[in-house]
Amino acid sequence: MQDLLERPATTPVPPATSTLKRRRNSRARWELTARVAALSLFCLLLLFPFVWLVSQSLKDTNQYFAVPFEWIPSPFRWENFSDVIFKYDFLHYIGNSLWLAVYAVVVNILSSSFVAYGFSRFRFPGRNALFMVVLATMMLPGQVMTISLYRFYREIGWIDTFYPLLIPKLFGAAFEIFLFRQFFLSLPREVDEAARIDGCGTLRTWWHIILPQSKPVIIVVAVFTFLGSWRELFGPLIYLTGEENRTLPLGLLYFTSPFGSSLPMLMAAIVISLIPPVVLYALGQKYIDKGVAIAEIK
Amino acid sequence: MTMALDPQRQKRRWWRREGVQGYLYISPWLLGFLMFGVAPLIAAFMTSLSKANVFRTIRFVGTDNYSKILTDDPVFATIAGNMLIYVIGSTVISIGLGLILALLLFKDFRGNHVFRTLIYVPSLLVGIATAYLFKQVFRGGEVGLANMFLSVFGTEPVNWLGDSDKPWLALVALILVNIWFTGGTMLIFLAGLKGIPASYFEAARVDGAGPWQMFRKVTLPLLSPVIVFNTVMALIGHIQVFETPLAFANSGGVATGNPLGYENSLGTFVTYLYVKGFVYQDMGYASALAFIMFAATLVLTGLVLWLARRFTAYGDADQN
Repeated sequence: MQDLLERPATTPVPPATSTLKRRRNSRARWELTARVAALSLFCLLLLFPFVWLVSQSLKDTNQYFAVPFEWIPSPFRWENFSDVIFKYDFLHYIGNSLWLAVYAVVVNILSSSFVAYGFSRFRFPGRNALFMVVLATMMLPGQVMTISLYRFYREIGWIDTFYPLLIPKLFGAAFEIFLFRQFFLSLPREVDEAARIDGCGTLRTWWHIILPQSKPVIIVVAVFTFLGSWRELFGPLIYLTGEENRTLPLGLLYFTSPFGSSLPMLMAAIVISLIPPVVLYALGQKYIDKGVAIAEIK
Repeated sequence: MTMALDPQRQKRRWWRREGVQGYLYISPWLLGFLMFGVAPLIAAFMTSLSKANVFRTIRFVGTDNYSKILTDDPVFATIAGNMLIYVIGSTVISIGLGLILALLLFKDFRGNHVFRTLIYVPSLLVGIATAYLFKQVFRGGEVGLANMFLSVFGTEPVNWLGDSDKPWLALVALILVNIWFTGGTMLIFLAGLKGIPASYFEAARVDGAGPWQMFRKVTLPLLSPVIVFNTVMALIGHIQVFETPLAFANSGGVATGNPLGYENSLGTFVTYLYVKGFVYQDMGYASALAFIMFAATLVLTGLVLWLARRFTAYGDADQN
């Protein structure tokens, strides 16, 4: 690519070179410096609010509002975190969010890869048209369906239960089906052919042949599904009305203090809810960068 | 097993046929699509043509909800204006900034990887948590981080979210928040840039093209399908913005204050839909709002595709 072409200009130039080459060399170096400087400034701007957040989460209310601002809290109030978790009942919200997210990950991987297997390994009438429908559903705003689904769930008594969040996930999700299908198409068919000749049924081929080869896409789907469930607000806000069933985003939305003004506590709660996504990204980074690139539809 | 028996066995067991098996495997999605997609969509359309009163008796009112929203709802008029400004502003940030960052990162140098990670990670964090964070960042007075930043340049503190004289400041803050979440777009642009054959750049260089000409004549046209894709995805995402405006407008618990912000200056399609449908329980009105939002999405997407077709030389060739 471009960097390949420019490399000759940046490598150390032998002593006896023309002035033209030397000028190009210095120009390339200047350009690189400008690039790094621009990116550094931008990343500094990006990081600012997050560093500020951590700093504010470790203060008491007086320090929080102190002018001029102090970046390093003194003393560090680590209790903010334990207070949020235990006194503000965030342990409960985290628990709800965590099991919902883990459920979503497991179920979504199974159902989406199952459907994607159908789309990638079988020929049947209307296959391409149906796959276009899968892609088209990504365009449809979920809120259009939410209203009638809410009325339906109300009729059958599912409001303030987890069913409205659990049941639809059993049927696969469009984006994940798309990711799995793209990956399955890139897997060699010879292996499943061999398995078929050995008398392996299609179900066992999916489970024993296809899935074990699909670690990269499974990791990407797992991370995206976890994040999607972890931050979901609209569904829980509508379907879960009781305090008992609150998820972490709902806990944040309804964050009010039983003990006076508590912005540092809110900041601590925000930090807590941002930690799992960051850790998850760190674990799956290698695969995620590639996974996002798959999303680039041709 | 004799080979001759094989086809006969496949004929006997109909479920072993390839076509049937294909349908069996996609049946979970098909079933889910009918139950959680098609059926609610039809029901929502019926609902949007009706009005339910407090006793939940439903009356057919034709297109009354639609005509009321479009011609006789000052709140919706404000919100439509908000959305136009918000969607255009945010899409410019997502696409413009995302593309600039991708171009800056489209070169191997030490530390490239670190920058890419730093830019990408915040986009994974977007949600109610970051919405509340940025609400504090754009807090009025000297405590807010945005004002602290501005004070370096000698600017007076701005009352971002609560200025009754300038309610549009809240919308500006809402748009600015998108600066932190361009990572996803950036990564897709980067993948697109890496997909352009090196020989094209080489040919342009041999022909004596400068960096600007290279960008204008080689990078931009070849990247246009990715730009179109990113623009459409950004539009869809921005039209459905919900958490941040809700958090910005929310002053201590959702129940207090106007969830659409001061003078509805923070109202978006989805927050308005939420208020109408789930706070005031006017489902017919909310359903009509949802369809108008969907229509707006389709119109904007169509507009982008039409513009792409008109202005890019490669648009037709690549999208067949």
